[in-house]
Amino acid sequence: MDNLDAARLQMAFTLIFHIVFACIGMVMPFFMVVAHKKWLNTKNPIYLTLTKSWQKGVAIFFVTGAVSGTALSFELGLLWPEFMKHAGPIIGMPFSLEGAAFFVEAIALGFYLYGWNRLPKKFHWFTGIIVGIAGVASGILVVSANGWMNAPSGFDYVNGEFLNIDPIKALFNPGWFTQALHMTLAAFTATGFAVAGVHAFQVYKKKHKELHMKAFKIALTFGALAAILQPISGDISAKDIAKRQPVKLAAMEAHYHTQKGAPLYIGGIVDNENQTVSYKIEIPKALSFLAFGDFDAEVKGLNDFPEDVRPKNIALVHYAFQIMVGIGSLLLIVGLLFFISFKKQIWWQKKWFWILFAVLAPTGFIALEAGWIVTEVGRQPWIIHNIMKTKDAVTPMPGMVYSFYMYIVLYTVLTVAVTWLMTRQIKFLNNSKTV
Amino acid sequence: MLYVVLFFLAISLLLYVILAGADFGAGIVELFSSDQNQQITKKTVYRVMGPVWEANHIWIIIILVILWVGFPEFYNVLVLYLHIPITLVLLGITLRGVAFVFRHYDAFKDKSQILYDWMFRISSFVTPIFLGMTFGAMLSGHIIIPEHIESQSFYNLFIAPWFNGFSVFVGLFFAALCAFLASILLIGEASDEERPIYVRKSRIATVTVIIMGFLVLCFSYLYDIRFLSNFVKNPYALTLVAISALLIFPLLRSIKLARKITTRTFTGVQVVLILIAALIAQYPNLIITSDASINILKTAAPDKVINVLGISLIVGGCIILPGLYHLFRSFKMIKIFER
Repeated sequence: MDNLDAARLQMAFTLIFHIVFACIGMVMPFFMVVAHKKWLNTKNPIYLTLTKSWQKGVAIFFVTGAVSGTALSFELGLLWPEFMKHAGPIIGMPFSLEGAAFFVEAIALGFYLYGWNRLPKKFHWFTGIIVGIAGVASGILVVSANGWMNAPSGFDYVNGEFLNIDPIKALFNPGWFTQALHMTLAAFTATGFAVAGVHAFQVYKKKHKELHMKAFKIALTFGALAAILQPISGDISAKDIAKRQPVKLAAMEAHYHTQKGAPLYIGGIVDNENQTVSYKIEIPKALSFLAFGDFDAEVKGLNDFPEDVRPKNIALVHYAFQIMVGIGSLLLIVGLLFFISFKKQIWWQKKWFWILFAVLAPTGFIALEAGWIVTEVGRQPWIIHNIMKTKDAVTPMPGMVYSFYMYIVLYTVLTVAVTWLMTRQIKFLNNSKTV
Repeated sequence: MLYVVLFFLAISLLLYVILAGADFGAGIVELFSSDQNQQITKKTVYRVMGPVWEANHIWIIIILVILWVGFPEFYNVLVLYLHIPITLVLLGITLRGVAFVFRHYDAFKDKSQILYDWMFRISSFVTPIFLGMTFGAMLSGHIIIPEHIESQSFYNLFIAPWFNGFSVFVGLFFAALCAFLASILLIGEASDEERPIYVRKSRIATVTVIIMGFLVLCFSYLYDIRFLSNFVKNPYALTLVAISALLIFPLLRSIKLARKITTRTFTGVQVVLILIAALIAQYPNLIITSDASINILKTAAPDKVINVLGISLIVGGCIILPGLYHLFRSFKMIKIFER
């Protein structure tokens, strides 16, 4: 493995790990404050128990997300010094604001976790809201920085130099809104379904059914709503990519040959050498329509781009895209089912209903990771689209492969540890007599 | 506006060293305690640090962001040549952060606590050492910036800058400083019967800091580290260190009397004085390489970037500082004068 591959894999691995914790840490506070509000309103002790268990989850996930985020912010420079040297000042705005938002989140979380019986009730509850809002804000800001890598703006690139830097224009780069919207909805979908799935499994096992059903409803209301809204954001993103990064769109669809009225491929096996996709479902003219809103629009194929600006791993981008869209559609349907179930409460007595949601628990996060693979691998070979290549940004320090191994071990251990802690939380909750 | 940014950088650095330092130090105090005192310290540390430790550690992210946005080339040298110690610091920060939370939030308090405890204590001890080594490396004069990276060996470029006597002693000094800060803080927070434990610890820590500081100076003198001569030639730096040294006597007396707040104030002032002295001695050449120094002012980003950064910091500061003050006050951590 050469240095570049090791550095890329380390970055990918750290991000894949961090994203899960960051999402849960930013979305779960909302579930927590809803349960907390219900406790304040109804004085039903089940809600208090639920709030306090979720709060423990938030604390564990927040800290794991925070420390891996700290590591990530350093890794940007450690792995890609050349990138940060030039990009740092330009995308400083989202990062400095993110620092501030993250600070607010940590302060608010300090108040919330330790404020029980010490702070005025309403203020205490309100600090929980601040945790959530600040979390979402920092998420949006970080995604804006990534948006800039896809849609660089706010500077003039003259003879290899970055001149006339405008940090505010860079913050509001053309990619920020579509990406931030898509990611925020994805975070709510993934976390909502994951948390709901865990509680659905407990309902299925008939442990503290009342508590777990309440938890399930709160979490899935957020998750299902986001899943239902997501296609709109997906459509905006697709049209945006078609305009700004046509080569990424072509890679997503494994679309090799430029064509008017291009068909949409669903699934299929990519043969990059022969430039064919076999065993796919083909929908005529659909790609042209989805990308440009016109059934006969021309969609540029990969062959029309010089080889050195195409992503190398077309198959990976295509498969990841299929997984994301496939799961997204599934969760949309299941989300609708959930809302229909309020009319057909008989479903709640059925085992299949709870098994379905338990099985779906990890899918939201699988889709979310797949989406990031699409956007990150699809951006290659660029680290800053059309400006700087990833291979020119990597650290000259040899031996990155050892650092990569270290991070793999570290994050694998942490993943196992956090999962284990969560199962212990649930076991403890189920054994407690207070509910 | 450049000076506003530098001011925030210095403030963040001071706050990080004091707040996160006390936090690291709490783990060190726990590490060097008898079994029974370890459990007492664990409880006290949790009560004292719990609400604020997360916020304490964010200062390093603020430092990082200010450096990479405002002083990209300066930051570039750090991440390139000090890659290894910074990675080790990150490993330590990660392990101790999760251990601190795991040991409190694990639903069952069983044998796994032993593992969390040791993870927390060891990483609390090792992380500040590596952090201090990173600081030391900036001043040791071992960093080589070659024209072609291939012309130098891996050891010379990426290991020698931080793995040398001076840096190691700075690392140990920093760890001792952390333990010192923590034990002083704990005097004020412990219950009456536990207080003597921390009074004793504070005395040991004070002596250790003095010895380590002395060793750093001896080493700089013997190996002709340029930082020392810059330090000795600077009258302001010397004055500040002298004041700080004189403060040791009232401090030791205050420790002896187990005064909670006076002790804390003396300590804070002392540490701030030493840090400012080190900064003044070197400013603005904050990295000393093998053949030159890097002037942080010359690595500053274009004016427009600095202006936006400065405004962001002022606005962010206006939101964060009152929040932080309120957090500390709500959990009764701000007391300046003895009642």
